[in-house]
Formats: sequence, C-alpha cells, structure tokens
Amino acid sequence: MTRFKIAKVAELQGHDERAWNIAWNPAKPLLASCSADKTVRLYHYDHATDSPDLRFTHNTTISTGHTKTVRAVAWSPSGLSLATASFDANVGIWEQEGGDEGEGPNAGEWECSSLLEGHETECKSVAYSSSGTLLASCSRDKTVWVWEVQPDVDFECLGVLMEHTQDVKCVAWHPHEEILASASYDDTIRLYIDDPSDDWFCFATLKGHESTVWCVSWSPDGRYLASSSDDKTVRIWKRVKEHSWESVLVLTGHERSVYSISWGVGKSNDDASLGWLASASGDGQVMVWELTKPSDSDTAPMSSTPPGHSIIARLEAAHGVYDVNAVAWCPRQGYENILATAGDDCSVRVWKVIPE
Amino acid sequence: MEVFNPNPVIFAPAKATGRRSKPSKPESFWDDEEADVEVDENTVEPIDQDEIFDLIRHISDPEHPNSLEELRVVSAPQISVSENRVIVEFTPTVPHCGMSTLIGLSIRVRLMQSLPPRFKVDIFVKPGSHQSEHAVNKQLNDKERVAAALENPALVDTVEKCLEKAESWGA
Repeated sequence: MTRFKIAKVAELQGHDERAWNIAWNPAKPLLASCSADKTVRLYHYDHATDSPDLRFTHNTTISTGHTKTVRAVAWSPSGLSLATASFDANVGIWEQEGGDEGEGPNAGEWECSSLLEGHETECKSVAYSSSGTLLASCSRDKTVWVWEVQPDVDFECLGVLMEHTQDVKCVAWHPHEEILASASYDDTIRLYIDDPSDDWFCFATLKGHESTVWCVSWSPDGRYLASSSDDKTVRIWKRVKEHSWESVLVLTGHERSVYSISWGVGKSNDDASLGWLASASGDGQVMVWELTKPSDSDTAPMSSTPPGHSIIARLEAAHGVYDVNAVAWCPRQGYENILATAGDDCSVRVWKVIPE
Repeated sequence: MEVFNPNPVIFAPAKATGRRSKPSKPESFWDDEEADVEVDENTVEPIDQDEIFDLIRHISDPEHPNSLEELRVVSAPQISVSENRVIVEFTPTVPHCGMSTLIGLSIRVRLMQSLPPRFKVDIFVKPGSHQSEHAVNKQLNDKERVAAALENPALVDTVEKCLEKAESWGA
C-alpha cells in the first residue's frame, strides 16, 4: 500500500477572527472562506510558471453585511452563486456582477442577490443539491429548510422540517439523488426526501453517535454516508435498502471532537477505491482514510458488509495548537488530492496529499 | 429575575496562592552567561492548578454579591491541568441552578482570555450536582454554541459583570 503525506501548499492569512469554513468553487479556480469576522474571502489559484505547485492569490473580500459570524459557505454546482449561512439567522446568496463572463481582474463585484430569512436563530450550514435547483439550510432553531432555487435567483421555501429535537449543525445533499441529510446536537442524523404528492419528509433517523453530530458527507458514489461527531469518531453508514441506511464502520483516531469531514474521489491507484475521506478535529489533526469496496460489492451491493479502510495520511498540528474547524477536498478534475482547512488561528491552509 | 438559591452558604476565601507563571531562571554555578540563555520560544511554560484557580476564584456569582470561591462553586482540587489541557469542574450551589451555564460560560471566557492558546479547556459541573448535568456540560463544551452566545450583547454584558472582579485581581 502506498504511504502518503500531507504537504502544505499555501497558508492564507487575512481573516481577523476564527475561520469557520471553506468551499471550493466546482467550476472555477476559486476558494471561498468565511469567518467570525463576518467576511467571506475569495482566493484565486493557478500554476506558477515552471513549478508544479499551486499559487494562491487573494481575489476579493466580501463584507457580507451579515451582522454576526458567517458560519458556512457553499457554492452552487454551476459555481455562479455562493451561499452564506450566518449566526444572524439569515442565508445570503451572492453573485458576481457581470455573471459568467470570467473571473479576471475586471470581473464585477460580488453582490447579495437574495437574503433568505426564516430561521429564528443561528444558521449553521447551507448546501445546494447536485442539480442546483434546491438549497437546504439549518439552524439552532432545530429546523431544516428546503428552498427551491427559481430562475432569477428567486427562492421559494418548499418545506420546513422539524424532526430534530436540538440544534441542527450540518446539511448535505446526496451526490446525484434528491436525498438530504442533516446532523444534529441531538446526536442523530436524519434523511429526507420529497413526497411528490405531498411535502418533504424524514424517512430515516440514524442513531449511533454518542454525542453531537457535527458534519455529514456523502461518498462520491452515493452508496455511503460519513458522519463525524463530538464522540471523537467518524461513522460510515451504508445504504442497505432503497430507504434504509445502517452503521457499518466506526473510524477512530481523533482525540477531540471531529468538526468536519469531506469525502472526495481521491487519487488512488486502487481500482476498488471508494475515495478519500478527510477529517478535521479539535485535536488539531487532519486525517485521511482510503475506503475501498467490500469484496461483495458486485454481488451484493446493498449488503451490510463494511467497506475496507486504512489511514493513508495523518497530519498533526495542522493549524499549530489551534482547532481545525473545516476540511474540504477540491472537487475539480486534476485537483483530487488538494485539500483546504480552516482553523481557529484565523488562517486557511491548502494541502496536497502526495505519495511519501 | 428568578433567584435560584436565595440563601447560599458563604465560605471564607483562602489566601491567594501568589503563584505566577514566570519560569524561574535556571541557576548556574559556574557561568553567568549560561543563566542568561534566552528562553527557547518553544519552551512550554508550565501552568498549575493553583494558577488556574487564581484566575477563576474571584469571578462573581451572577445572582449573589459573592465570588465563586466564597460560594464553593470552584475550588483548586476541582481543577486538573496537563501540558495542554485544563479540566475545570464546578459545583452549582443548588441542583436546579438556572445560572449554571452562565457560571460555566464566565469561567470559559476568563480562561480563554488568560491562558495561552495551546490549552483546550473542558468545563463540567460536578457529577450529581445538577439536575440537567448532561445538558449543561454539553452546551458549555460546544464551541459553536459558546461562540454564538458571545455574539449576544446582553449575555456578554452579564458575563463581563461576573468577570469584573476577577479581572481587577489581575491574577
């Protein structure tokens, strides 16, 4: 098995307070970060001439107008819209003036095209569905909202899901189906689908974590869901029936809350790879697991056989002595081994996972 | 405002431990120069239980004119310190004390402002001392909930009032 290391590519300073989250634009070389300083920073990246390494340059800072921490950022699949979730209870939708004409220095300012109001307290996470037609948001008010993204960035609320008994920490859409997952302070994960003749509803409650579930991330093939928790573990849930998911694996190694996970396709030479799962924790570590198809994946794809797993890389003190709040793989082709993290030291760091 | 414990028992405070976190200079018996060797910036300055206690003992109780030490809400033996982790246990004066999260938050803010950033701080109520022990502990150790609470001006105001005395003691 190849051993990998996590090597630093860039350290991006600029936020004045804790950096909470990062999001890679899926279409363009842009990385967004958000912070308790209420701003969003955008970085452009390219290859330096005669160097294989990526070079990051600060592109712009959006002073969002949010009156409190910007807790999370998410790009639409087209890469044209950026959503912000703030402790001021609102979701902002940001688009660049002049739209899709480019990202050069002459491109326009980022402006707030919609402000989605409705949550009663801190909004903690926001996510676009794979088609870009739906947006989900969640809050300490215990609700998950599903919004329809209409032409001309008009948003209509399709449903308010009140299943959780506590604070909802994270929402994530399935990579190709309209299934939504939410993670909560009530220690559970809930899965939702749309009933075509009725409303959005919760079809599964995943119990197993022993404390707050901070983050959920789907496998690239959509057959698995990973979750990370204050109980210091990462769990892998597998689809065993059309509408049924089972906990099949518990990954350990972190010593404090695991605040964030990201499951990317990775750059493995193993044909059975299900991709690379990265985790970030209050213990300062970033870990990368490779998950592989179980031997019965062709004959019994919905068996409860767990996937194979191994830690391929591990980085201590990714942000020095500080907590690592978020981790995200770059989704763009050719950049599958590039990772960004956000930390309590106010910085955003970019890493590459390369053979040792 | 509802008073959760109208008549708390008040204890006399102990003398300040007077300890400070300055590392003592290494003694040298043969070469003055060596004693002046600059402290390596990676040197971890040890901090002990008593120093943590000095930081929090003078925090005021949100509903009484007394300090947390006088009410025996905090005490040195309820603090444990390792190289980069501090665990503080506190004892609410009554098991239904609705002020417990506020007390815990004040302790957390005080330690956040005073300790080097390498310290991870965990705060718990004494096992069995509060009827909502699990809920209080969970909230106090959820960094996102703490961050949001500290963006609430009314709450910050209350916490600052509790901390006024502790800060004037300088610790």
